[in-house]
Amino acid sequence: MDYHRSKEEIFEEDRIEEMLELLWMAIEEGGATIDKITKRSEDPQAAYLLKDMESAGLISLNSGRITFRETGEKRAGEIIRRHRIAERLLSEVFEVEEKEIEEHACELEHSHVLGQSVVNSICTFLGHPPTCPHGRPIPKGDCCRKFSLEVKPLVGSLTDLQVGEEVKIVFISTKYHARLDRLSSLGIIPGNIIKLHQKQPTYVIRIGETELALDSDLAKDIFVKKTS
Amino acid sequence: MHSHATETLKKGEKIVIVGNPNVGKSVIFGLLTGRYATVSNYPGTTVTITGGSCNLGGNSFPVIDTPGINTLIPMSEDEVVTRDILLNESIKLVVQVLDSKNLSRGLPITIQLAEMGLPFILVLNMWDEANSRGINIDVKRLASAMGTFIIPTIAVEKKGLKELRDALSEKKYPSILINYGSVIEEGIKEIENILPESNISRRAIALMLLAGDESLKSWLKRLINYPDITRIESVRREVQEKFFEPVGYLINQIRSKRCDKIIADTVVKNRIERNAITIHLGNWAMHPVWGIPVLLVVLILLYEFVGVLGAQTLSELLEDGLFGGYINPYITMWADSFIQDSFFRDLFVGEYGIITMALTYSIAIILPIVGTFFIAFGILEDSGYLPRLAIMVHKIFKSMGLSGKAVLPMVLGLGCDTMATLTARIMETRRERIIVTLLLALGVPCSAQLGVILGMLGGVSFIVTILWAGIITLILFLVGLLASKLIKGDTSDFVFDIPPLRVPVLSNIIIKTLSRINWYLKEAVPLFIVGTLILFTLDKIGVLKTIEVIASPLVVNFLGLPQKATDAFLIGFLRRDYGAAGLYALSEAGLLNPNQILVSLVTITLFVPCVANLLVMIKERGSKTTIAIVAFIFPFAFIVGGVINFVLNIFGIKL
Repeated sequence: MDYHRSKEEIFEEDRIEEMLELLWMAIEEGGATIDKITKRSEDPQAAYLLKDMESAGLISLNSGRITFRETGEKRAGEIIRRHRIAERLLSEVFEVEEKEIEEHACELEHSHVLGQSVVNSICTFLGHPPTCPHGRPIPKGDCCRKFSLEVKPLVGSLTDLQVGEEVKIVFISTKYHARLDRLSSLGIIPGNIIKLHQKQPTYVIRIGETELALDSDLAKDIFVKKTS
Repeated sequence: MHSHATETLKKGEKIVIVGNPNVGKSVIFGLLTGRYATVSNYPGTTVTITGGSCNLGGNSFPVIDTPGINTLIPMSEDEVVTRDILLNESIKLVVQVLDSKNLSRGLPITIQLAEMGLPFILVLNMWDEANSRGINIDVKRLASAMGTFIIPTIAVEKKGLKELRDALSEKKYPSILINYGSVIEEGIKEIENILPESNISRRAIALMLLAGDESLKSWLKRLINYPDITRIESVRREVQEKFFEPVGYLINQIRSKRCDKIIADTVVKNRIERNAITIHLGNWAMHPVWGIPVLLVVLILLYEFVGVLGAQTLSELLEDGLFGGYINPYITMWADSFIQDSFFRDLFVGEYGIITMALTYSIAIILPIVGTFFIAFGILEDSGYLPRLAIMVHKIFKSMGLSGKAVLPMVLGLGCDTMATLTARIMETRRERIIVTLLLALGVPCSAQLGVILGMLGGVSFIVTILWAGIITLILFLVGLLASKLIKGDTSDFVFDIPPLRVPVLSNIIIKTLSRINWYLKEAVPLFIVGTLILFTLDKIGVLKTIEVIASPLVVNFLGLPQKATDAFLIGFLRRDYGAAGLYALSEAGLLNPNQILVSLVTITLFVPCVANLLVMIKERGSKTTIAIVAFIFPFAFIVGGVINFVLNIFGIKL
């Protein structure tokens, strides 16, 4: 972070970051075109901004299509990561109303607000969530790759719990689509409260009046947070 | 009560009962139709559909009972069955049975039914269990939220049945509707335009397709052309690309949130500290430490009841008392004096006579054993112990590379392997269905066989009993391990409901036992007679002696058994319990020593259970797989028997 920059410099910086964020999301949804971006952007000078960013080596403009160059993609990924981690933090820890989350997250996403190491600490604290509360992926940081546990995580796998603890499901992290469908049809859905009944010979959890037996392979995919 | 369309149910229109697993659909079915469908306290009792008819005001309506489902997007074969009925049959009324204490599990299905545009009513079963847990449901409010009739019932006590019958005469189209957000809704609209007309609404089918339901593919192929299928697929992909998480999962979440809201508005929960003995017992039965003594107690009681009371006391009473003391001598005497022709006399009362062999074996030896076993097994089923047993042995199955879910069909195999082979449908992958079918056919003794074996072993020694059980378990484990390494494919996720431990209802145990005994008499006894007739014929035309001589290197030299044991193995091809009964008779006659008992019992246990099982295997797994399994099993059974004989001899072990 650089505290010696002028207000104007920070303003320019923010404009670029807003644009990078918009581009990332458009590409995530299938592709970014100059038309689409200028329409969506709140920046009155969007078209010029894109040109500037091209000459700064952040993006490439190719017959109306916009793609990231390496530096641009890296910066955009960091912004998105900050934004979505912030969303997780606000929704899981502070339980901020859904309407307000977006507004706050937009402020927190800028590099001059949240630094890299702070973002990594929050990410660890939240148990390295794979998605934001809206289900969009959070780009991985160094901390996720190392899966560091230096900060005691607030959100952890069901397998880390003690028998008898009552927790709230925060997210389910699995690479199998069918598994998500199966678990959700049994009531294992983010937001539901579960109680861990036993861990051996299989996991037994209680959701409402249902008792479910599940294997440790599944239990480790279920991420939960203690209820206060 | 409500302002929605209602019309009177017309004569002959189908009523379908659906709902989550283990909520009492089959009990309701039985009450409506007077037909008995197997009822138990574990999920997955019904894996096929059962039909019956219900009389309402002088008119008869077909009623269909279906396997339990948690969602109408199927993941295993039993779930496909239910969805396909809704899709293909012309249904006029759906009766959804819900567990009153567990509305959050049932209501997502309700929403799916409403989306399908089918008329339905809701039955809130186990109303008493909800009450005893402090759950109060405002039925009127819930009814108006869903827009349909809601009938609270306690099916096992026949409470609420009259109200249900009254409600059946009217058709009601529920009003609940969900908005899935603009992206999914647009996808629905696009797919709706492509879909053909069918029994259920296009919207419901579009939602299933968006959720990635593969099982609909073949249905679609029959009704629309290839470019349209590709268009649907591309709409699905477009919608999916807008989300990171699978669309099916998002849809489930949206439904679940809506249900939670409905529940919050209509259900009040008071905290009641429950301290019933069944709760503690239920917890002990799946506890990592206490579960083991509980299992031992269950096994000891089972042995005392079936092995001692059934196989020894009752069997002796019938065999020596009734058949040996009265029926056989009397009929033999009668036959001697009235049937001049020795051929026909032997047909009834000879060595391989229908009365002296088939009926003596089946009625005197096996019936008391299967009878007591059916009672014991019925109690175990209805108590809810079996799923807990599955939890206890899950680790063993996991180490074999199988999902613990495979435990349930295997345990049910102890009742009847044929039914258990059907239950293999609850497994989600083909690989596991094949392995479970193989293990059932190979080494899980069914009630009849288990009873005969226990009866035989009870008279020999404890050591032989343990050895037999140990060898069979070891073989099942090794073959399972090998099969799961050889057969490629996925493993199902191990996750299932644990029903509460309940005190079994006496009347259900009685009905269930009687219906199973009825099945045994109708299906097994005729097969015993056929087997006896085959032996009789072979004996009369002199082939039996030849077979015994030909088989002698195998039976006498390799297995170290008397030549007569060949007969037991021969009829063992028809039903292995019949073969076991033949061995039982040999052992009673003092023709088998403990070593031979062990060898012969292990061999016969590893036979294919019975002809009925074979037919079900062909139906469920196809003839190719079945032939492969059978071609493996029979030689394998003899090889194992021979190896045991060899080991016993080489070490000079006398059991």
